[in-house]
Amino acid sequence: MTARPPATAPRPYRFPDFVRHELPNGLGVWLVPLPERELVSVHLLTDAGAATEDEATAGIAALTAQLLVTGTQRLDAAAFAETTERLGIEVGSESSWDSARAGFTALGSKLPDGLALLAEMIRSPRLDEGEFERLKAERLNDILQARADPGRLADESFLREVYAADVPYGRLSAGTPESVGALDVAAARDFHASRYAPRIADIVIAGAIEPDAVLSEVERHLGEWSGNGTGHRTFEPRQRSGRRVILVDRPGSVQSELRVGHLGIDRHHPRYFPALVMAALLGGVFSSRLNLRLREELGYTYSARCSFDPRRAPGPFTATAAVQTEVTVDAIRELLGQLERMRVEAPVPDELAAVRDFLVGIFPLRFETTTGIATAIEPLAVYDLPDDYWHTYRSRLETVTADDVLGAARELVRPDEALILLTGDAALLRDDLAAADLGPLEVVPAQA
Amino acid sequence: MSDVPIERHALDNGLRVILSRDPRAPLVAVNVWYDVGSKHEKPGKTGFAHLFEHMMFQGSANVEKGQHFSLVQAAGGTCNASTWLDRTNYFETLPGHELELALWLEADRMASLLPAMTQEKLDNQRDVVKNERRWSVDNQPYGDWDERIQELVYPDGHPYHHSTIGSMEDLSAASLTDVGDFFATWYAPNNAVLTIAGDFETDAALEMVRRHFSPIPANASLPEKPDMRVDPRIGRDVHETKADQVPLSRVYLAHRSPPFGTDAFDALEVSADILGSGRASRLYASLVRDQRLAQDTGVFVFPIVGGASMFTLWVTARPGVAPETIETATLAEMDRLADDGPTDADLERVRNLHAAHAAGALERISERADRLSMYACLFDEPERINGEVARYAAVDGTRVSAALLDSVRADNRVTLTYVPAEAAS
Repeated sequence: MTARPPATAPRPYRFPDFVRHELPNGLGVWLVPLPERELVSVHLLTDAGAATEDEATAGIAALTAQLLVTGTQRLDAAAFAETTERLGIEVGSESSWDSARAGFTALGSKLPDGLALLAEMIRSPRLDEGEFERLKAERLNDILQARADPGRLADESFLREVYAADVPYGRLSAGTPESVGALDVAAARDFHASRYAPRIADIVIAGAIEPDAVLSEVERHLGEWSGNGTGHRTFEPRQRSGRRVILVDRPGSVQSELRVGHLGIDRHHPRYFPALVMAALLGGVFSSRLNLRLREELGYTYSARCSFDPRRAPGPFTATAAVQTEVTVDAIRELLGQLERMRVEAPVPDELAAVRDFLVGIFPLRFETTTGIATAIEPLAVYDLPDDYWHTYRSRLETVTADDVLGAARELVRPDEALILLTGDAALLRDDLAAADLGPLEVVPAQA
Repeated sequence: MSDVPIERHALDNGLRVILSRDPRAPLVAVNVWYDVGSKHEKPGKTGFAHLFEHMMFQGSANVEKGQHFSLVQAAGGTCNASTWLDRTNYFETLPGHELELALWLEADRMASLLPAMTQEKLDNQRDVVKNERRWSVDNQPYGDWDERIQELVYPDGHPYHHSTIGSMEDLSAASLTDVGDFFATWYAPNNAVLTIAGDFETDAALEMVRRHFSPIPANASLPEKPDMRVDPRIGRDVHETKADQVPLSRVYLAHRSPPFGTDAFDALEVSADILGSGRASRLYASLVRDQRLAQDTGVFVFPIVGGASMFTLWVTARPGVAPETIETATLAEMDRLADDGPTDADLERVRNLHAAHAAGALERISERADRLSMYACLFDEPERINGEVARYAAVDGTRVSAALLDSVRADNRVTLTYVPAEAAS
């Protein structure tokens, strides 16, 4: 056969229906019955992300989340790990800018035990000083490791340089060495007491569950949990400056890690859906403009891509590639060229259809697992999206036009304002970058 | 756990076909394993199996360069490929009604890759692969650890002695003639397994498979399998220290060990999990949590089938902790497990974690298809997928001790230590 074979009739797919309750203490309960699943996923979300921190305690959200799994008042760190893992349950607990999440995925038969242990962990964690000091030291060590890794060094440096100095998003959500170094267990205890509360929390349970029975279990373990919680702060991110070039010196590098971008969008931006399609077309799929040009035509990199990072407030828009040192300046020009092209050259019908059909068609694959479905509920809880969000999601993508994409690019992709940050060997790159007229150049040493 | 359904078929040209129907979601996974990996590479051609994998996305008689990805994506699917020591796999997951698209794409390149090959495409993908190597190995802290471990665990000339990514020199030397030879030798239906898992109608799927793949001729003269024989032990205690741009020292310990598919391998997998999986694992509890010597740790066995596998551990030292200290502490934990055996609690813990992980992996049809292809390709026994949990649970304390005592010995160990460059100078 010499031509693409025709598809057969598609089978309809619908995002699973869920039921939603609110307990008298304010806890949101989202139950997603998924018949025939062996696993169950439980995600407990609280408005205890890094955006709830005071600047003086930056990093406490991440450390508190990690500290939760080191035991309860009844079970010390060793006993808690032993008890959960003997049930085949690995409890996770982590935080992002906008929320903290604790939870697990386990065989369905373990749900009652797992739920009881998760509730115990959230309501009466041990918050042990020794374990706090251990995790703090590990976090400081991880920052050292990150700064030796060119990609992670570029990520951290980009955030620091792209945001104005007083904007929290200018650092990693897990904090800086300076802020983490000053934290103590009292700060974690305060944070837990004031931020982990049912009024600002939701629990999502997806699996082969009987909703009424599971609701009773949730009420039994979390119904008497009390507290209102402080909730997140609001702030308005600003960019530090316009177009400039920052080279973070990493002697001996054989590649330059490029990060090119500026402020992006928040989660409720009116152009959210056009932006999603535009970013996929520019750098979100293998056949995107950035990847086709920098990888498949020029061979400069293994991968070139771009994305938004929508949060409650505008997260960054970043284009990313690791390119061999010798072609660094050309690669930056090519990358900027694709950003500029996105603003002036609307996608042709096939190009737009391919990306839109991908985002629409991939829909059921994203929800193949119980944890995929539980994760999909999270933005509904965290960002107050409507209950029919996923049921209308595909039709909202399908209505995005070429003009919408071009409009989104003209507003949201601004190469003239972009920060061009790279990590690489300054001895090899400095002169070429200075001569390239890409913007004012600053060379900074890698922070140790 | 309910069994994964399995139907085995074969075409006259030798293509093995595995069907695993599961209509719960309207999705289908197509997965092809070719029985060729970096162990089949000739001297001077390291990295070629992987470079060739990239060429499989550069078009074929009826598919343009880049079109494989764009067609699958426009159909609402994902696709990729990977190369490792024993094999190369290619896979698509897409809505069930697009099954034939994936079959056609796989068949077209299996039948007719070479008419689409050009020097320009080879040069482009050579540059891409060199950048993949720079990104994953040369520009990464500790980035060459597995390459170096393989060189030290397997003797010069052994097919596992060199890494899958290969050397820059050999990548530079790869030619279009090499592409043609490699394709003609290895990319034949009688050297491949095709698995379809997910939502399809069996008769219709088999009809499509026959229509697209039956015309492809077998290679009547597949080469002999490479000689993988190797002494079961290294025979000496190998130490190597490297100064690198790393802030924390890290120690890798690797042992020659029985290959994937043996009872001893299963016992070492259980041992690896007792030592390194989860917060209640022996190494995490002792070195990270209690003694606070280590930043992190990992233990695993390579699922490779030729001659010998590798039982491998790594431990990253906290600042100020000498690598010798974590090495000694790690060996003490391994010896304690080997000598005293695991406790009932150890076994209960890792068995229940393993059962949950297995269920999680098999939740995804792409993973189901890949494992079916793997067991068919490596053991001619796809049914092994349904014995994973039972085989793991059958490992008892005696087998853990025996497997560790047999492999984890000073005369069978490579110790590769990375230290911060400033400290070393």
